[in-house]
This record gives sequence, structure tokens and C-alpha cells, in this order.
Amino acid sequence: MSAILQILFDALSLGSLYALGALGIALIFGVMRLVNFAHGDVIAFSIFALLWPSTDAVAVIFAGNLPWFLLVPFVLVMGAGLSVLAEITVFRRFRKASPATMMIASFALGFVIRYFLLMLFSSRPKSISLLPALSQPVEILGARIPLLQVITIAVTVAILFGLTSFLKRTRFGLEMRAAAENFTMARVLGVRANRVIMGAFALSGALAAAIGLILGSQTGTADIQMGANVMLMAFIATVIGGLGSLPGAVIAGFLLGAASVVMQVTLPIDARPFRDAFVYGAVILVLIFRPQGLLAARGTKERV
Amino acid sequence: MKRRTYLTATLLGAALASTPARADDDRIVVGFATAESGFMQAYDKPAQDAAMIRIKEINDAGGLLGKQIEVVNADTKTDRAEGAKAGLSVIDQGADLVVVSCDYDFGAPAALTAESAGLVSFFLCAESIKAGIQGVGPHSFSASVLAAVQGATMAQWSYEKKGARSYYRLLDTWTEYNKGICDGFDWALPQLADATLVGEDTFKNEDASIAAQITRIKSLPEEPDAIMLCTMMPGAVSAIKQIRAAGINSMILNGSGVDGSYWLSAVPDLSNFFVPVQGSIYGDDPNADVTAFNAAYKEATGGDPSTQYVYPGYVLIDVWAKAVERAGTTDADAVVAELEKMNEEPTLFGPRTFSSEIHHQNKARYLIVETTNGKPGVVDEWTIPEAIPVADLMK
Amino acid sequence: MSARTSVARRTLATPLILSALLIVFALLAWFVGSKPFNQTIIDIFLRVILVVGLYIFVGNSGVISFGHAGFTCLGAYAAAWLTMPPMMKQTLLPGLPEWLTALQLPYWAGAGLAALWAAVWAALFGKILMRLSGIAASIATFAMLAMINTIYSNWEDVTGATSSVVGIPIVRTVWPYLIAAILAVFIAWAHAISRAGLALRAARDEPTAASASGIDLPRERLIAFVVSGAVMGMGGALFAHSIGVVTPDTFYLGLTFITLSMLVVGGMGSLSGAVIGVLFLSVLIQALRWLEAGVTIGASKFALPNGVQEIALGVVMILILARRPSGLMGNKELGWRRAGSVAPDVSGQKQPDLSKGVSK
Repeated sequence: MSAILQILFDALSLGSLYALGALGIALIFGVMRLVNFAHGDVIAFSIFALLWPSTDAVAVIFAGNLPWFLLVPFVLVMGAGLSVLAEITVFRRFRKASPATMMIASFALGFVIRYFLLMLFSSRPKSISLLPALSQPVEILGARIPLLQVITIAVTVAILFGLTSFLKRTRFGLEMRAAAENFTMARVLGVRANRVIMGAFALSGALAAAIGLILGSQTGTADIQMGANVMLMAFIATVIGGLGSLPGAVIAGFLLGAASVVMQVTLPIDARPFRDAFVYGAVILVLIFRPQGLLAARGTKERV
Repeated sequence: MKRRTYLTATLLGAALASTPARADDDRIVVGFATAESGFMQAYDKPAQDAAMIRIKEINDAGGLLGKQIEVVNADTKTDRAEGAKAGLSVIDQGADLVVVSCDYDFGAPAALTAESAGLVSFFLCAESIKAGIQGVGPHSFSASVLAAVQGATMAQWSYEKKGARSYYRLLDTWTEYNKGICDGFDWALPQLADATLVGEDTFKNEDASIAAQITRIKSLPEEPDAIMLCTMMPGAVSAIKQIRAAGINSMILNGSGVDGSYWLSAVPDLSNFFVPVQGSIYGDDPNADVTAFNAAYKEATGGDPSTQYVYPGYVLIDVWAKAVERAGTTDADAVVAELEKMNEEPTLFGPRTFSSEIHHQNKARYLIVETTNGKPGVVDEWTIPEAIPVADLMK
Repeated sequence: MSARTSVARRTLATPLILSALLIVFALLAWFVGSKPFNQTIIDIFLRVILVVGLYIFVGNSGVISFGHAGFTCLGAYAAAWLTMPPMMKQTLLPGLPEWLTALQLPYWAGAGLAALWAAVWAALFGKILMRLSGIAASIATFAMLAMINTIYSNWEDVTGATSSVVGIPIVRTVWPYLIAAILAVFIAWAHAISRAGLALRAARDEPTAASASGIDLPRERLIAFVVSGAVMGMGGALFAHSIGVVTPDTFYLGLTFITLSMLVVGGMGSLSGAVIGVLFLSVLIQALRWLEAGVTIGASKFALPNGVQEIALGVVMILILARRPSGLMGNKELGWRRAGSVAPDVSGQKQPDLSKGVSK
């Protein structure tokens, strides 16, 4: 019983990471049709913002020693800030470009951020003790669950509820949902494009920073590649979920996390290194049977 | 098997069509085809700095064969294709010895260019058997110790000195280095009476979470005495942190890849944690000369060595220069012959042996560093009594 | 038939000009005579092969593929299996079938078979994947790459897993790479003016009209996928011979993005764009590297800090794309007189659209 509970928590906490990532990518895709490959680098940047630039092996802490109620907002603001800056300096110039061009531009931007971090901090992973109080186990129904897992799941659920009510209740949220559904139509109906797009970037950046915080506390490491894996999975989740569909992205994120954990648990030892091949095989199957994704957003049917 | 390895080497030599070695000119040049930027830079630079210290020592003492050693550089940019270019570039500048990147995968392209030019190449700190005869050719060497020796050392030492009997093996399948540690562990474990492997699992360095793997350890009827953790940076910190966060307090045995105190702040109050090292960066090496070297390193670079991977750079120049001195020339074949005569050749960081079968250490003295309450320090030393057979290293 | 020859005659200028351009680069390497520079040119030719291979599918179908580096991986390992000395295969890759272990081919025969091997896998994967369009297809191709990478990174006995495979004969002259690059350009051209290529581009630009006129889209896409898979496989094989070592991670995300970037910067819908994109970015990279290494102007030495090269490359790419969203060449091809098109009879040259299947 406690083992099953443990596995459930493992799956939910990994799924939470992917779901938050997928949400960040889907938000921007919704308003701009941009597949943002710089998302993973925003994750890394928001954590490196806690450190002073230095290529020494030992991390020189800058804002990392703040109490948690200041540290968390600081990181979120850094993520949102970088994301908005990227919109203003780069993506604004690509509003009319084809999605392929935008995608390569976002990749180029991610490349710039990554090498910028590399130059300032070197490739050696930096150790940080982020929110150390979270790395202890708690007892739930006889299972000893790392506190961070519980918090990750709780925070994700809170973010999901918060975001849902924000999108449903506020005027800004309404505009954003309208834009996600049909951007041209929304503009015609008076949605202020720049504001909505900036809002989407800010939210997406803050979500990236939240992932950074979770990863940072879990691994104790700031690494320039730290966001790459989550971003890839999140990207896949966005597509399986149905591009443009926020609930779809979240559900698919959780499904991917669960698939990964379940395979790790059930595969025999010799097959375990091949785990990802099975996960990706499942992705192809889902796409073949539901090319529009699990929850296709309205108005996204193929026109041919 | 022995014959097969020999054949492999000969074939490699033939395949690479060695051109006659460069005529001995007036200069002695060491060429560094290493990463000055990109991912590998953080790993190549410290070892290269150590190599430069040895070169300076030799030059200050009158040089090698009466000549000053010159140094030329080319940046591999942590890219394999650039690595080949960097190798060709230092050879064009007259290198007699080509020093290549720390990691086998990134160093091999440059080492292969040296091999086909008939020059001696040295990997800064590669720990795969391929960094040498088996993967480059008869003129290639590595200055470090095989990863398998680290795994075997940890298994034997924990068994003999810590009374560990039940082991768990957790392998990160990301690199050959990681697999090498576990291979050495696998080789040593069956030789230890009533030591048992109670379970094993794999993960990937980049995994965002290894919660499922940890759940498997926790579902064992009893916590294992020791966990053999075959991994490296950056995933290592994450794995260690998650193991301890889950309340597992078994001994954690590692390879040298996790040496250093720079990351310990990520896992506050880490204890029961063991790492094999070639020399201590913590100022408590049994050999006072090592501590003196650490001071020299700090003077030259402005910082303390951050891991033991600084040391092989010093060793490589040391053994190569000795071989050149003995051969009386920098001619590759003569130098290789002298290197292969080295048997338990003393260096600052333990004895080194090369033979015509293996240009790497399949047996070495290791210091054991234990971390208690976040403080690392040398507690013991161990030399595996028997060298790991080449056949077991090649599988 | 006669229409086909006339199309061929009208568009032949493009591959000829591109080949001439490549020959100029090869001659440059020959005149300079420096070994590192020679290796630089070889590297450029390899990228030309890969980007042209990518263009054959992406350019003609308009579907962005993240999976083509997988075929390069297949080709590189096939070359290793076919050309390494049998003794080395026995020790390093003991899981290979006996006949393969005993075989040792010259590098060009190995490269040919490697291309074939990649094509076979492209056909198998393509049969399943080509039913998808738009971004679903892109993700599915990425999933394919990830599967290939995971399998090659872990299949100890046959691929040596993450460990480098060594003992591959090294070819350091520039000519075989030049010939292969020219061959790739001509294959791309021949495909573009073939029935399948024309139909595919028609479907890319006018999906509704194309399906109304009975074009079997999955089939035409599959043909392009297989042809481009073969070229990528050949590129992979030659890559293996250029440095003599292969590992799976060489053929993963890094390569995917570099090749895609070069294609998009050059102009995704144009063969000339594919080649120009590679040449332009490669020259830029090289120039930045020289600056990084330091240039002496008069008495003072000027050098960029290490690491600036990559940052500058990213910034320049963004600037180019912001100015010319459809790449340096747009959809145009190099021709004798004016800039013409490989396929003038296909109207409405739109930028291929990633979000097909998502209404705007």
C-alpha cells in the first residue's frame, strides 16, 4: 500500500513539473503561434540570477540567501522579466513571420542565453542550498514522502486553480483566452494585442521560474542545461494535449510523468535504460490516433 | 584476450598509417588541443594549469634535454570536429607531445590526428581504457586512473574496513565513465565472501527526478549497507540529495567524479559518504609535497584546486618528461618505449605503471575521503591487491 | 517527357552554380594547404550534405522535421560497422552478426550502403509518420530521433552504447566530401523536378487544390522522406570518416538545431538557400573563431573573449531572421539570368507553415 502511494507521489510530482512546463509553452503558443525553445533557458536563467557571476567552482551566492518569502518572488520576477524582455527585444519583430522562422529565432535566443550563462558561470554545475527545509521526508499514511514532492504537487495544483480562475474571472484572462482561441478575431473584437502577448510572456516566464525553483531545491544544483529536459517533455506534452489547449497541456504533462515513472517501476532491469524509447514510442502512438491532441482546442481542425 | 588486444593495437596502428615521426628539430613543443571554451573548459583548464606548473618547474630547472619546453594551444570548443582541427593545428605548430581533452569522447578526435602523425598523445584525465592503445593507438596514453579501479577500490575498502555486506548498485547510464565505475564494482564484488548485491537500478543524469528509483531502494526489506553510486556531475548532486531527502542513510560509495567540496552546500550535513581520490585537495594529504603543490597551484591560478582532477595534468608532463630524458630524444617510438618501461614509477600522486598492453592504470593507490557533517577529509588509503585484467576492462 | 526535360534544362543552372561554388571552396582548401583549414572545409561540405538532405524533406513538404539527425546517426554507425577492421569489431562490438564482423569495405562503398540503410529506416518510420501533418508530424519525428538515440546509446553489443566507436578509417582529403556534397545537391535538384517533388510542393503551397487534383500526399511525403533520409545517412557515414569516432550524442539535439537553423537562415523553401545558409553561417562562425583566437592589427593584438563566438552567432541569426523572415534566399533559386525557381510551374510560393492544422 505504502509502495503504491509512494509511486503515485513520484508520478504526480514528475508530472507536475512537466505540466507547469507545458502550460508555459502553451500560453505563448496560444497567443502567438510561437513554439518557444528558449523556455528551458529561462528556467536556468532564473536560478542563476541567485548567484554572482563567477567561473569558480564554488558558487558565489547573491540573492540565494534571502528568506523564502523574498526569494520566491525574486526568482519569479527574474523569470517573468527575462521572458518579457525577450518579447520586447526579439519576438515582437517576428509577429508576422512564419512559425518555423519564429521557432528558429527562439532557438537562437535560447542559444544566446545559454552561452551567456556559460561565459559568466562556466559549465561546472553550481551548488546552491535552495529552500533546504524542504529536503526532509514526511510521513503520509505510512509512506515516507520527501516534503518537496508534496509541496511540488500542492504548488502545481494551486497554480492551476489560480490560473484557471484568473483566466475565467478577470478581463485580462478573458482577453487572453479569446486570443488563444482565435487571435485575429480577438483583435478585431478589441483585444489589446501587445498587452495580452506581454501578459502571456510574463506568466510563462514566471512558470518557468517556478520550475527552476522546484528543480533547484530538488537537485541542489544550478546547471546551464537544467531546463532542457523538462522543456522537451513539456513541448511534447503541449502537442499531445492539443496545441492551444491549456487543460490538454496540463493533462498530457501529468500523463507523461506517470508514463515515465510507471515504466521505470515495471520494466525489467535490462530494459530500463531503454525507458525513454518506450515513452517516445507511446508519444508516436498517441499522435497517430489523435493527431489533433487529446483535447483539441476549438477551431484547430485541419482545414483540408 | 591479451593477443587480441595486441592485434587491435597493431591494426589500429596500421589503419591509421603512421607517417614517419617528425625529424627531431631544435625545439621541444607541447601542444594542448583542449577546450578553452564550452562545456569541457571547466574540466580541461584546471588539469592544464597543473601541467603548466610542471612545465614551468622543468624549464626553471634548466629545461628538457637542455632546451626550454615551448607550449602551443588550440581550442576544441568542446566540439568533436573542432577537436580534430585543434589536433591538426598544434601538430602544424610543431608539437612533439599532443595533450588532448579530459574526456575520451572529446579528446579522441585530436588524439587520432596525433596518432596518424606518429606523435605521442596524452589525455588530460580520461578514465576509459579506450584512452590509450585500445581506442587511439600505440602512441596514446592517459594520465589518470581507470574508472573501474575506483569502483573496485570502493567495493573492497567498504567490505574490509567498514564491514559492509549488502550492496545496492545505482548506475547512471549517461557516460562510459559511469559504467566503468560499476564495471569495476561488478568485478570486485564476487571476490568478497558473503557480500551480496541486494538490488540494482539505472537512471539518466538529466532525469528531473529519480523518485521512482529511490522508491525501489526503500521497498527493500532492509536498508542496504552501502549504495554504489556510479554517476558524475551534474546529476550526482541531484541523486545524492534525493537519496538523503528520502531518509536513506546507507553509506554512499562513489567514483572520483564527485570529489570536491564546492557542491557540498547543496546537501547540508552530508555524512557517510565516500570518495576515492589520487591526492587530497583538502590540505590533509599524507604526502606533504601534495599540499605544497596545492599552494603552488593557488599561486599560479589564484584559487585552490577544486577537485582531484587537477593532478593528472601534473603527472602527465612529469612522466612524459622523464621518458624523454631517458630516451634522450622526443622521437615518439623511443619515448613510448621508455614510458612502457615504467613500473610503479613514483609520482607526486602515487605510482604509475605503463606496459605494451595498457597505457593506463588498472591498479592504483587511492586515498579514501569521507565526508562527515558536510566536512570531507582523508580517512584511509587503499590499493587493490590485484590489477583488473584487461579482458574485464574491454567488455 | 519532353516537359520534364524542359524543366530540367531550365533549372539545371541552380545545381551547376551551387556546385561551382562548392568547387571554389575546395580549391581554396587546396591552395591554402594548411591541414586545419582543410579540415574546416571538410566540415563545411559535411554540413552542406546534411542541410541539403534536410531540405529535400522540409523544404518540399513544409513539415519541419526534428528527426533527421537520427538518419545521420544510422548512417554513421552503419559506416562504422562496414569499414572498421574486423578484429576491432570483434572486441568493441561483439554483438554484430558474424558476416558483418568479417566484412571490411572501402569507405565509399560503406557510405553508399549506409545511405541505403538510413533510407530503409526512413521508409519504415515514414510509413507510419507521414500520415501526420503540421506540428504533430514535427513532434513525431522528434520522438523518432529520441527513440533512435536511446537505442543507440544503450545497445552495448552492437553500438558500443555511449562509448565512442573507434577504428573507423579517417579520410582527410577534401575531394570525396566535395563529390558527395555535389551529389547531394544534384539529388535534391532531381527530386525537386521529379513528379513527386513537384506534387509535394504543390500540396505544400495549395493543400486544398492539390488534394482535389488527386495528389496522394502521404505517398509523396514518404518519397521525399526516404530520399532525404538516404542523403542524411550518407552525410553521417562521411562524418564518421572525417574524424574517425562516433558517439550517439553527436547526432542529437545540437546537430538537429544547427542544421535546421542553417536551412531556415538560408531560406527553407530553396535548394540554393540550403547551400547558401551553410556557407554563410560557416564563414561567419569561422571568422568569429579567428577573432576569438586573436587578430594582429598593426602593433596591437585584438581578441574577443572566449565564448563570444556562440553569442554573436545567435544574435546575428536573430537579426537576419528579423530582417528576412523567409531566409537569405527566400524561395528563390540561383539561376543564370534572374533569380528563377527550381519549379517555376508551381505558383504561390508561400513560406511553409508549421501551424498547418491550426487556424489563424
